[in-house]
Amino acid sequence: MDFREGIEDPVEHVFNVFEAIRRWEARVNAYISLESPDLIVEEVERIARGINAGEKVGKLAGLLVSVKDNICTSFLPTTAGSRMLDPYIPPYDATVVKRLLEEDAIVVGKANLDEFAMGSTTELSAFGPTRNPWDLERVPGGSSGGSAASLAYGGSDLSLGSDTGGSARLPAAYTATVGLKPTYGLVSRYGLIPYGNSLEQISPMARSVRDVALLLDVIGGWDPLDATSLRVDKPRTFTTSKADPSKVTVCVVKELSEGAEDVIERAYWRILKKLESEGVELREEKLPVASKALPAYYTIAFAEAASNLARYDGVFYPTKGGGSTWEEEVELARMKGFGREVKKRILMGVYALSEGYRDEYYIAATKVRRVVRDEVSRISRSCIIASQVSPILPPRLGERLDDPLKLYAMDVYTVIANLAGAPALVQPIEFYNGLPIGIQWIGKPLGEGELVSLGLLVEELTGLAGVVAG
Amino acid sequence: MKVTIGLEIHVQMSEAGSKLFCNCKADYRGLNVNTNVCPVCLGLPGALPVVSRRSVELALATSLALKCEIPKFIVFTRKHYFYPDLPKNYQISMIERAGGVPICRNGVISFLDPSRWEWKSCRIRRVNIEEDPGRTVYEEGGITGSPYALVDYNRSGVPLLEIVTEPDIETPRDARLLVEYLLLTLEYLGVTNPRLEGVFRVDANVSLDGGERVEVKNIGSIADVEKALNYEILRQSKIREAGGVIERETRHWDPVRGVTRPLRHKEYEEEYLYFPDPDLPPIAITEEMVKGALKIAVEADLQALLSELLKHNIPPEHAWSIVSTKPALDLFKKVVSLGGDPQVVARMLAVDYKGELREQGKDPYDPSNWPPPDTILELSKLTLTGVYPYDTIKGLIIPNLVSNPLARLETLIPEKAGDLDLVVEEVLREEVKAVKDYLEGKTQALNYLVGRVIKKIGRKAVDPRIIRGLLEKRIKAGAPRT
Repeated sequence: MDFREGIEDPVEHVFNVFEAIRRWEARVNAYISLESPDLIVEEVERIARGINAGEKVGKLAGLLVSVKDNICTSFLPTTAGSRMLDPYIPPYDATVVKRLLEEDAIVVGKANLDEFAMGSTTELSAFGPTRNPWDLERVPGGSSGGSAASLAYGGSDLSLGSDTGGSARLPAAYTATVGLKPTYGLVSRYGLIPYGNSLEQISPMARSVRDVALLLDVIGGWDPLDATSLRVDKPRTFTTSKADPSKVTVCVVKELSEGAEDVIERAYWRILKKLESEGVELREEKLPVASKALPAYYTIAFAEAASNLARYDGVFYPTKGGGSTWEEEVELARMKGFGREVKKRILMGVYALSEGYRDEYYIAATKVRRVVRDEVSRISRSCIIASQVSPILPPRLGERLDDPLKLYAMDVYTVIANLAGAPALVQPIEFYNGLPIGIQWIGKPLGEGELVSLGLLVEELTGLAGVVAG
Repeated sequence: MKVTIGLEIHVQMSEAGSKLFCNCKADYRGLNVNTNVCPVCLGLPGALPVVSRRSVELALATSLALKCEIPKFIVFTRKHYFYPDLPKNYQISMIERAGGVPICRNGVISFLDPSRWEWKSCRIRRVNIEEDPGRTVYEEGGITGSPYALVDYNRSGVPLLEIVTEPDIETPRDARLLVEYLLLTLEYLGVTNPRLEGVFRVDANVSLDGGERVEVKNIGSIADVEKALNYEILRQSKIREAGGVIERETRHWDPVRGVTRPLRHKEYEEEYLYFPDPDLPPIAITEEMVKGALKIAVEADLQALLSELLKHNIPPEHAWSIVSTKPALDLFKKVVSLGGDPQVVARMLAVDYKGELREQGKDPYDPSNWPPPDTILELSKLTLTGVYPYDTIKGLIIPNLVSNPLARLETLIPEKAGDLDLVVEEVLREEVKAVKDYLEGKTQALNYLVGRVIKKIGRKAVDPRIIRGLLEKRIKAGAPRT
């Protein structure tokens, strides 16, 4: 965003981003579709003329944003990473996309993701896996892996991801970028192709805390088109200042700090100790329900997914079954259009909602969610929760796919915030053998400002703002 | 033989303005196919439902009218089944056992048997708000034979009320009367227009002497409620007489042939995967909302409206005739408030005007087929002042008024009796012989005189009975003045 301070020319900036895409994209596969460079140049020239003429321009003027491909755009295909929607061009823009465009942002392309956001590695896209720019043999995390990777190699300035159980935060941790999962209802879901409606939020991602705050301010705030959106004013986190350490209390929740690989646990404690030496108060807390969170999360997400994905039946959407009867058409279209993981999750979701099993699974899971929500809000009233993001460093491609339970376990620390509806910020704290390690801060509902404030303090201690791979 | 009937009535809230979850129109009739649609009612990925406040308000008013327990909040659920006209392959409804909370529980409907003037009642189990699916059109051969189906989504997402009664109904006739009364109430509430094509469907559960119940689906008219149930009861009783056993099943009403038919047997249990819709948080029913809805409900209390009319000593059948035709009641109220005599106005509207509308094949439910209140007020005054006997008004004025409700009264009123007098005198002077014949007992001579008078007054509308009366009176009074 240098040019905003008059350092870089916006047109020159666009060409720098194009250059990064040219150098990296074939290897990384961060994008499913890219906007025509001519259109982008035309748009940025218009904006540059405005800036030069001293006209009032939007808050995101000239910034290139990658948008996860499960967020609807009327000007670029929106596939949700699925063959089922290849190619589908929605007749409308998601509310967040409208807000981006109103602030003169430029959508550079649609970012890769696990099919329908179901995955933690971005290997499960119908458009091929995305690779981690920090180590091309490794995954960028998922499901917003395309968003994170595009930021990590400089192929975008900002990105919109989505986070159902950690889908924006895990990739942020794996790519040394910043991801913020907002309070449930702060950002409109209108136009987000749903996976787990009651859990997910469109999430701002960027290479620094400040940029994430800027993006949050633009996309957040009440939307009459989303009944779950909170009736709150637009957030104002961009102008938040760095936290005064003596006024911050961080809670170390046992269940959210233990269980990760040694290098990760050590990095986690190093930054906490550093914060403590700056004057931050550390306190211990317990969250016994955490062990039940992962199964509860997956039960709810799968149930909602099974329901949400019922609409893909070969009628409206591009993948047709070619059946000779309606029943056959539905079966064949779903057989062809969905990948393995999606089918598996639909089946498990159907099971969890079935008569006779609903109480044991779905209803039980919603009860766990209530306990998680109560417990997290009790703790977060008086402190910001420090948590791991992932129990492991970014795995190699293929490493996790064989064992679904291991794949699902990658989300063990992140699902808490989704179940609780609480905001959570992930930012880089260290590198280990060239691989990024992140930390997660969980706040109280609508406590985004405090998270940003703490994030700025941490950024200052780590110096890890705006890092780009390569 | 004891008959037990319970009803499930689906009524479109055609007057709610918008669809249940988007701004498309609630009444889609007359629109080109697939033009009354948007991302929400097409269920496109990412589009989200937002509940229309008006639909909730009208549903709440319905619940109040049905004396229901009003919930503190309502919860929508999803019901999944694959069907081409259901774009999301789930329907948003309020299924209770899956965490849904309907807008009404445990209500009661009191309905009138107008010909016996008897009030009956039936408990209401619940009322759900839900969305209508689109409409599937099959080519020749119907659902089984048609090579393809066409779907029109104009109806997709239209708000529906699903009103479920307890099995308290004992005769097909009562079932019909209940549906009729309920639809009328919903019309007064401003929820629906019962006369729109396809605006309601009735499913009826019926069992005999505690036997298994059979569900009859797809009853689409008020008259068919009674017909379908009569048929089904006859069918079941024949089976029983032959020593057979009634099995629990779902049958389809075929209105063309007038029979119920079995639906294809399902080989598997239905599994709807109910759960609360995560896109729609519970909606609190506030005191303020109840107050607003109560204002609507009060206006639609048919029992109160009837007793209001009966207070004026209006015969019950006139009162029911007026109340059952909303434009007639609206007109009646206006005329009476302007000083019209309630009994005269009631008779005029309920019997003669409405009868003449039917005579001329005009829709009594269309307000534009009724005259302005001033016209009726003047007519009722004319009746009372005795200027014209009621029969004149009925026989001469009303038919013309029905043909042209906006006609000015002056153009409809026949010559006043005063003017007629002169013509009568003239004819009596001219027709001395006829008068003499009449006085001698040749009564048909009077018809001749009447004819002469009518001829003289030309084409002006006069009731011949009036002329006859005048002639008789005059002749009895003595010889014409010369």
